[in-house]
Amino acid sequence: MLTSLPQRTAIRNPRAQARKTFEKQPMHIEIDEISKSFGTTAALHPVSLSLPSGALVALLGPSGSGKTTLLRILGGLEFPTSGRVLFDGQDATGLSVQERRAGFVFQSYALFRHMTVFDNIAYGLNARPRASRPTKAEIARRVTKLLDLIQLPDIGARYPSQLSGGQRQRVALARALAIEPRMLLLDEPFGALDAKVRKELRQGLRDIHDTTGLTTVFVTHDQEEAMELADLVVVMSMGRIEQIGKPQDIRARPATAFVKDFITA
Amino acid sequence: MKGPVIHRSPMPGLGLSMGITLTMLSIVVLLPIGALLLKGANYGLAGIWETVNRERVWAALFLSFRLSLFAALLNLVFGVLLAWVLVRYRFPGRRLLDAAVDLPFALPTAVAGIALTALYAPRGFFGQLAAEIGWKIAYTQWGIFIALVFVGLPFVARTVQPVIEEIEREVEEASATLGASRLHTLRHVILPMLLPAALTGFALALARAVGEYGSVIFIAGNIPLVTEIAPLLIIIQLEEFNYDAAAAIGIAMLLISFAMLLAINLIQVWSRRRIGYV
Amino acid sequence: MSDASLAKPVRFRAATEESPATRWALITVAFAGLAILVFAPLIAVFVEALADGVAASLKSLASPDARDAIRLTLTIAAISVPLNAIFGIAAAWFITKFDFRGKAFLITLIDLPFSVSPVVAGLCIVLMFGANSAIGGWLVAQGYPIVFAMPGIILATMFVTFPFVARELIPVMIEQGRAEEEAALTLGASGWRTFWTVTLPNIRWALLYGVLLCNARAMGEFGAVAVVSGKIRGETATMPTTIEMLYQEYLSVAAFSLAAVLALLALVTLLLKTALEIRHADQLAATHRH
Repeated sequence: MLTSLPQRTAIRNPRAQARKTFEKQPMHIEIDEISKSFGTTAALHPVSLSLPSGALVALLGPSGSGKTTLLRILGGLEFPTSGRVLFDGQDATGLSVQERRAGFVFQSYALFRHMTVFDNIAYGLNARPRASRPTKAEIARRVTKLLDLIQLPDIGARYPSQLSGGQRQRVALARALAIEPRMLLLDEPFGALDAKVRKELRQGLRDIHDTTGLTTVFVTHDQEEAMELADLVVVMSMGRIEQIGKPQDIRARPATAFVKDFITA
Repeated sequence: MKGPVIHRSPMPGLGLSMGITLTMLSIVVLLPIGALLLKGANYGLAGIWETVNRERVWAALFLSFRLSLFAALLNLVFGVLLAWVLVRYRFPGRRLLDAAVDLPFALPTAVAGIALTALYAPRGFFGQLAAEIGWKIAYTQWGIFIALVFVGLPFVARTVQPVIEEIEREVEEASATLGASRLHTLRHVILPMLLPAALTGFALALARAVGEYGSVIFIAGNIPLVTEIAPLLIIIQLEEFNYDAAAAIGIAMLLISFAMLLAINLIQVWSRRRIGYV
Repeated sequence: MSDASLAKPVRFRAATEESPATRWALITVAFAGLAILVFAPLIAVFVEALADGVAASLKSLASPDARDAIRLTLTIAAISVPLNAIFGIAAAWFITKFDFRGKAFLITLIDLPFSVSPVVAGLCIVLMFGANSAIGGWLVAQGYPIVFAMPGIILATMFVTFPFVARELIPVMIEQGRAEEEAALTLGASGWRTFWTVTLPNIRWALLYGVLLCNARAMGEFGAVAVVSGKIRGETATMPTTIEMLYQEYLSVAAFSLAAVLALLALVTLLLKTALEIRHADQLAATHRH
């Protein structure tokens, strides 16, 4: 009984526990002259961008602006035609998607439908080679902790089809966090939700970012969302970066006619 | 839940379509199957058991079921592979390969039977090759096995193909971003998603193989106790006008079919409950 | 182009792809498997048929046995396929346009013949309509024998091909819903007019698809027909049963020549089927069954 006391405290204060897992120095991401073309069409003209360690960054733009392509290049799901990606100053361009350890949350969440929520969150840990795989008990402990973090402690045994849209989004987030990612990448994390849930979960993402301290990049086409949530907003259009800046700066001094139009729309 | 048997509808043609459906279903399918069951009922359980419980009948039923199981297992593996290759890869000849999967459905069984026999008989193309290493295929259980693989070939591939087409790329990508190797993704994410469809195809191939006659009898050799399949026993009994015995074996085979049909339905119920789709 | 990208001409692999080596290995296995299982038998049919030359093969097809068999098989298909098409349309209409209890059970019953061995199907028809049964005996006394005669073969053929058309039409008609028919009815069209001008044009490709498969199976059915036909030459011997008789009399060229005709039919069926799948994929159940 005595030995379980610390854990009880942990459950009462999951955020404190989570901070422990992610207390390493968050990663600094550098995008150096990255371009991408699909066949003859250019999705990204050479873009360069420096994402400060621990920031919450929004890639904002209309569809076709290249923001999702840029996110997928960071996650290792797409490879640049030219240019480099640097993680903490080291060239990561050639790293495979598995080696990147990017916590990626997909627009559709892409939860595994044949697995329970518990197994979904445990997936990344179970997929590790035997030598570096945590014990069953350790995995269970971490999953429980993550379920507490997303404030859904009792849904471990359910299947994704039995969850609401907002719950699915948070489970996808927990699954991405389970691998102790070096950064968090989210593709339209609120895109599939109705307006009310969307507002609630915005604060949830901000909280999780603040708790974990991870460098976090999310893609959105909703300027209000980007402005309200992000430390740094990158406005994109037609495969180019239009402006980089803090929300208030962008609002006060839009750099181009496009930005002006887009943020007032 | 107690509503009317048939809800009122503004659609015309209720009487006509229901009449045609039920009349033809009865004449062509239900009454004949009923006649078989009635024959069995008259013959009695004891009579059926006495007929079935003979060495030659057991041997035939066991042979049909065992070889069908092996053939369906091979088709399970090969069918999933085929479906994957046809859906995911682009290569010259893909359309041809896709169409070829259906040939066992389209080619009459008797034609397949004599063609396979010509190939695998001791002087046939493959038969000669096999004979060189002392392997006899036609007129042995190997021959039956090959014929059953042939007839069951399309089932798994055709049930699995649409499921592979519907897998979202993002699910595979999610697995990779979580650090899983491609092999791990295939084993733990993709195969489980294909499993219900693959098992359905497996059961269909099995059911087809157990009842198969035309493509097997030419290559089987039909030696009692060794290469005599259950459907052939029915034909032999009929040729001797031994209707009771034929009915008894027929009922035994019908029961196997019904069990398989039940299995398929259970697979689909299980799959729908667990992951919300078939 | 920066120096870094020039220095590294790395070909990246997408996260959802297998390595090229794995890919080609799997494609090779698929081709090899189908070559042994499907292409080889198909080629064997034509090689054996032409073993004594084209003339010998054609001559055997002109023999009275072969000609009678072809004529009978065509007749059987010409009767049983349209009957099953009518059944398929009626059943699909009944099932998709009305709500009634026991619908799922009815669909199971329609699918039943697919899971019954053709030999057992033949046996059922012999027991129902054979001279020893009540109905069969009475019909024989009236001068209408069923078993060992054409009606028996037609029944057996219909039994084994029973679900083909219905099974293709039902999912297509479920997907299309009832709105168009309801619109036609509110505009004052009669039931028949609605069917001919609204429903039928929407389901014609699916209907053709079902009929195509039904026909291929009808012309090739062996097990069920072997049981009910009695295989009387010139009277009840169809193409498949004639192939068996010729083969057992060691008339290899004659047997394979007849088999080659059926194999050609199978190839034409597959060709038309593929063409339908390419051109009318959106209107077929088979191509977007989930």
